[in-house]
Amino acid sequence: MEMLERRRFGLARFRTLSPAGPGADPQQRAEENPGRMLSRPEAAPKPRRKRRFSRLTLSGKVGATLLAFYVGVTILSFFWTPYDPTMPGAGMPYEAPSLAFPLGTDRLGTDILSMLMMGTRYDLGICLAAVFIAFSIGTILGTIAGYFGGTVDTVIMRLIEIVQAFPGLLFAMLIVQAAGPGVVNVIAVLSFVGMPDYLRLARAEIRSRREWQFAEAARLVGNLWFGVAFKHLLPNSMGPLLAFTSLNAAFSVLIIGSLGFLGLGLSPDSPEWGNMIARGQDGVMTGQWWVSLFPGIAVLGMTAAFYMLGDAIADITDPRRRR
Amino acid sequence: MRHYPADYPIIQVRNLRKLFPVRGGRKLHAIDGVDFDLQPGKTLALVGESGSGKSTVARCITRLVEPTSGDIIVHGSSILELTALEMSRTYRLVQMVFQDPNASLNPRMTVRGILEEPLKLHLNLTRAERDERLRELIEIIGLTVAHLDRYPNELSGGQRQRIGIARAVAISPEVVLLDEPTASLDVSVRGQILELLKRLQQEFNLAYLFISHDLQVVKHMSDEVAVMYLGKIVERGPTEEVFSHPKHPYTRALMSAAPVARWGGRRERTKLAGEIGTPIDPRPACRLVGRCPIERPECGESPMPLRDIGGGHQVACPFHQSIQQ
Amino acid sequence: MSDVILEIEGYSGAFRGRESGEMEPVLFDVSYRLKPKAITAVVGETGSGKSLMALSVLGLQPPTFRRTAGSIRFKGEEILGLDDRALRRIRGRRISMVFQDARAALNPVFTVGDQLADTDRLHSGRSRHAAMAKAIEALRRVQIPEPERRARQYPHEYSGGMAQRAMIAMAALICEPELLIMDEPTTGLDVTTQAEIMELIVDLAKSRGLTVCLITHDLGVVAETCDEVIVMNKGRVVETGATEQIFTAPAHAYTRRLLAASQLGEEGA
Repeated sequence: MEMLERRRFGLARFRTLSPAGPGADPQQRAEENPGRMLSRPEAAPKPRRKRRFSRLTLSGKVGATLLAFYVGVTILSFFWTPYDPTMPGAGMPYEAPSLAFPLGTDRLGTDILSMLMMGTRYDLGICLAAVFIAFSIGTILGTIAGYFGGTVDTVIMRLIEIVQAFPGLLFAMLIVQAAGPGVVNVIAVLSFVGMPDYLRLARAEIRSRREWQFAEAARLVGNLWFGVAFKHLLPNSMGPLLAFTSLNAAFSVLIIGSLGFLGLGLSPDSPEWGNMIARGQDGVMTGQWWVSLFPGIAVLGMTAAFYMLGDAIADITDPRRRR
Repeated sequence: MRHYPADYPIIQVRNLRKLFPVRGGRKLHAIDGVDFDLQPGKTLALVGESGSGKSTVARCITRLVEPTSGDIIVHGSSILELTALEMSRTYRLVQMVFQDPNASLNPRMTVRGILEEPLKLHLNLTRAERDERLRELIEIIGLTVAHLDRYPNELSGGQRQRIGIARAVAISPEVVLLDEPTASLDVSVRGQILELLKRLQQEFNLAYLFISHDLQVVKHMSDEVAVMYLGKIVERGPTEEVFSHPKHPYTRALMSAAPVARWGGRRERTKLAGEIGTPIDPRPACRLVGRCPIERPECGESPMPLRDIGGGHQVACPFHQSIQQ
Repeated sequence: MSDVILEIEGYSGAFRGRESGEMEPVLFDVSYRLKPKAITAVVGETGSGKSLMALSVLGLQPPTFRRTAGSIRFKGEEILGLDDRALRRIRGRRISMVFQDARAALNPVFTVGDQLADTDRLHSGRSRHAAMAKAIEALRRVQIPEPERRARQYPHEYSGGMAQRAMIAMAALICEPELLIMDEPTTGLDVTTQAEIMELIVDLAKSRGLTVCLITHDLGVVAETCDEVIVMNKGRVVETGATEQIFTAPAHAYTRRLLAASQLGEEGA
């Protein structure tokens, strides 16, 4: 069961349990006798807006710390880097890691450490932007589709299925080739690719809660559809969505890196890590191992951090785990 | 509190029908032609078992579920054609208390948030006026101001139901639909909630539609009772009268089956054969066909309308006299 | 003592809190006896511990529950702390249980007939054919119409009342126990169905000399069907006695309150 749940990118583990609906009879469901546990939202403890650090598992804490580190480096990179990452010739070309250049220099003599630091702006920045946009649009559309059902739902779902028909990376490559390089384009493509999963999750959660009594009560109190959907239903559905953002981020980092590696998406000089890995390829064969390795570790680290954090959040928000 | 002439119906339900489509092009007749009025200060009880359609009636009146045909008239005008916005204004007059206090309160909102919401959405009050109203409400239902900052899961079942009631009366409605309000509560708490409801009714001259399967509670709370079976009303009348002289075979079966918490040995039961009939594409005949102890061939030929038998008492069975008392 | 079929003595227990790890006591020195061939009701509200106590008899208590004291004797023999094999000999064969939500208690992927027949073969070793015949007979005995057809159906095709009858068939007829424990068997059922199920239970109990322990919060059901009553409140036994005595002359204040609340201050039905 554990194995099944940890399927990579699988959405299965993010679904909350829908209430057991005895019988397909709509009349019966409305008439279900008292005393039965029908359609009750899981007894939630006080809502925690901020995930408490101490409640994470060990790997979650490691992931969170690692991410904090990356964020710190990003911020730092705006103020200071050991050398200017855009200036070639800071040191000798292909200098091995040393005290002066802790991670060595590349073919043009640019300091790799500085490039890595600046690279976080791209890899982390683009990733977070894309996740945020995908989350927002996906959740909103999913909520609408889940709440209304019927034609609205069908139309939205068919469109999403078209998007999802393409493998993420391939799609990203195609679009970026067509639209041209640039940070904005990459963010746009990534958001597009990441959105359907949020949409499906939100839709499923909203759908399962739509018939619950507190949703009916919300309508009676005077809310119009958006009040019921966004003020009442959605906040109760956030758990799986939040848990998914982390994994979405991990996936996005890999796509950014892959695009960079292939030379797509960003200008060829940018210190994006994938790009750096690509540029250091020749070096691997001739013994300059550090040029590709360190950006590779950077990517690995960030992906791992997101995965660990995501797993921990999913555990916390999992309603099957009695809190 | 507005005053109305005696017998003025705030809500009139006329020939209400609700059909749900079922696989195979068939229709489930959840409600099949129901009429009644709701008057200020009076309680009409809808009694029935599962499948009777009683809960669906409440949802149709509030249009949480759209009626298939028939009419719902509030203060003289139909509400079936109203837009969503106009409907939400109608909710100022007609409110509902739900069955399961665990499921009907948003678990992520504090009590304050839950009670403020109707105030914010319907009334234009200043912050101070809202706080004042909240304080009034919380006192009326017998809780304290300290409870305002708690979450529903920190309260007991009885307390949660009180919040549900407070939410319903927050904006001074005229009609409250109560869908099994005490079904999920312990017996010891039930009495207090019913007392609260009675008090509120007297104080604000509320019209109640009390939906329940519990005959004892219905007898305690209502002025008039209507017994439903498979979407139709089979008997109705003043509570006193219907309870002491039930006429319809189904009503008799129901009343004789309801256990009484009193030492007195077992009673004679009017029994119904078989299981409840199907609400899917039912034949246009008396719904009790196949189960009725006094069934005759005529019963399967045409539907049985409600007939007056005097004193406001109506029965949908022309042969009711043939049951032994 | 030959006139007591089940004796619970001084049973106390607590739940281990999930976060804190601390013990939260929920049962306090519970003691009661079940008279053979009688229908005894254990009444209480939510949180009284009545269900927990009954589950503990068969070793079905939740894993976070720990007994801190007491003993449970079935026909004079201590059954607490028995190993799995011994417990299995008792469960179903000598003590059987019916749960509240029958459709949830039955396995949804097997037909009802198969489940009954399998249980029978487990206990009696009959052939498949004979076990199925017995299953169909059992369904007939609990007044399920067309038992041959019904035996081939799945639990979700049964109505609530019918599923409960099937459960009773399983627990009382297929298993042939000496003691039948029923945990809120009619809660959630319609009033008319409830009356029929209770009649069935009383009939089966009398005709087979079964001892029944009926756990419920519905005093009406108790008044009409039970011989003895045990009243529990917040983990303690508050009063015990014959039904007539409890209803006409309740001794404990809680019992009186419970009766008053159940009667809603009415005079006469």
